[in-house]
Amino acid sequence: MVVSRSYLLGASASVVAGAALGGALQVTVPGARLYMEVSPGLAAGLVGLVVAGIAAAAAWVRRRAAAVTARALRRAAAETARDRQRFLLRLDHELKNPLTAIRAGLANVQSAEAATGTAYALASVSAQTDRITRLAGDLRKLAELETRPIETAPVDLPGLLHEVAEAANEIPAARQRSIRVAVPRAPWPLPLLDGDRDLLFIALQNLVANAVKFSGPGDAVEVRASEDGDALLVEVADTGAGIPPDEIGQVWEELARGRAARALPGTGIGLALVRVIITRHGGQAAIRSRDGQGTVVSLRLPLPGRAETALVVAGPRQRRDTPGKAAP
Amino acid sequence: MTGAPHPRPVVILADDDEAITSNLAAFLDRAGFAVHVASDGEAALDLVERLDPDGCVLDVLMPRADGREVLRRLRASGRWLPVLLLTQVGESGERAMALEEGADDYLNKPFDPQELVARLRAVLRRARPGRRPLSAAPTLRAGDLRMDRISRRAWLIDAELMLTPKAMLLLDYLLTHPDELLTRDRLLEVLWGFDFPVGTRAVDNRIAELRRALRDDPGQPAWIETVAGQGYRFVARVDDGR
Repeated sequence: MVVSRSYLLGASASVVAGAALGGALQVTVPGARLYMEVSPGLAAGLVGLVVAGIAAAAAWVRRRAAAVTARALRRAAAETARDRQRFLLRLDHELKNPLTAIRAGLANVQSAEAATGTAYALASVSAQTDRITRLAGDLRKLAELETRPIETAPVDLPGLLHEVAEAANEIPAARQRSIRVAVPRAPWPLPLLDGDRDLLFIALQNLVANAVKFSGPGDAVEVRASEDGDALLVEVADTGAGIPPDEIGQVWEELARGRAARALPGTGIGLALVRVIITRHGGQAAIRSRDGQGTVVSLRLPLPGRAETALVVAGPRQRRDTPGKAAP
Repeated sequence: MTGAPHPRPVVILADDDEAITSNLAAFLDRAGFAVHVASDGEAALDLVERLDPDGCVLDVLMPRADGREVLRRLRASGRWLPVLLLTQVGESGERAMALEEGADDYLNKPFDPQELVARLRAVLRRARPGRRPLSAAPTLRAGDLRMDRISRRAWLIDAELMLTPKAMLLLDYLLTHPDELLTRDRLLEVLWGFDFPVGTRAVDNRIAELRRALRDDPGQPAWIETVAGQGYRFVARVDDGR
């Protein structure tokens, strides 16, 4: 605030000084031409005014930018806090259920008279322990993927997609789905991607496995790839159950499991894993879904230094008539 | 220990979590080991000094000398007994360090106790009493293949092998575990530090890379044998490079 006032002061002082020293503005008319004679004082005043104006504007822009940044940071911090809160609640939930089951199972073992009861309780305790083990393992995978160095090499995306589809066909439920891979060959084959093939495999495999998991017999699963300027686009689409609107905002978060997924095995780490892998590759992941109709996940993976491809965008032809004529 | 014809191998189990040592010690005992428990690194070193055991299982995170420091001090004093590290963080860096410091094997927590017994038996079988284990050797040699494990470079006759870091890691593991059936899951854990839901192809791809570099014929393997439906085995004889 102090700064801005001093700039205003400086600006008005320059104007006053310029006007006072310049005295009058002389206008002469020699021949047909018009000259303006400006006193050195006024010139200095005007320059001062312009400089002060620029400085004031720059300070204002800086302050605005700082305010915008601060607001964005506050928003991001609040968002992070909310994410963290949601994550802890989910973790709590994911741990509580198996732990409750384990305690109940152990209580049964301690008071069991019939040997059959003991065997059942122990099997249940063992299964719940596996569940917690899987959860711990999945969380570690995520944490590791976020930090470990990525080993990049040229990746042949079509080959990878076919391998992913092949692996997906080995999932027992996949037999009643049709899984198709569509990769363009014209006008030229898809360029090579720079990435970690193993990690990309895992991301794509997760998406296709999800598509199989959340669809039923007779549903279609499509894996498509295309080139879009400086990136490759990959889509994994299905005609499955879709995601309810109130759940779609959270699908990329750790341990997020929709109501439909509760009955299915899994720890809710798959899409978070996909997100981490794709962002580690400098890419973006997005999801669109219609409840009851299907889901499509789109990945955008940047391509390394591209050979120039000429691009001419067609726009609407210039119209001679004025717009609004054909209004109603 | 008991004067039986095949004495129970003496093993030191070092972990600061009593819940772990009490349960694991009982399990290892039933599996045929004579187990002595240490609750920190210094205690583990004392036990090694006193008992001259056949092997050691060390947790990485322990008070008063962690597992890696115990391992370093053991190797620095010329003790070559097999050491199995229990890693917690599962970071690739930690695994690489564990191998560089001469651990014979490592296992990520939480693990299946049966797996610990299997690994422990394997490292004890591999042990060459009084001699440096392959896993503690800075250079290894197998026929025409030579590997400098510190600089992570390998040569076939005189040509340097151009390998991706992961293939090199895999080659290192194969060379330090010769003539052992290594399952795909095990190798996947070596490469990545954790199991992927469906990722054993990643292992097959790296094995293919190694075979290309070594010009190995999978039908008539001189180096890497495929064990159908199970995994791989490094079949060439491996020696300490020095």
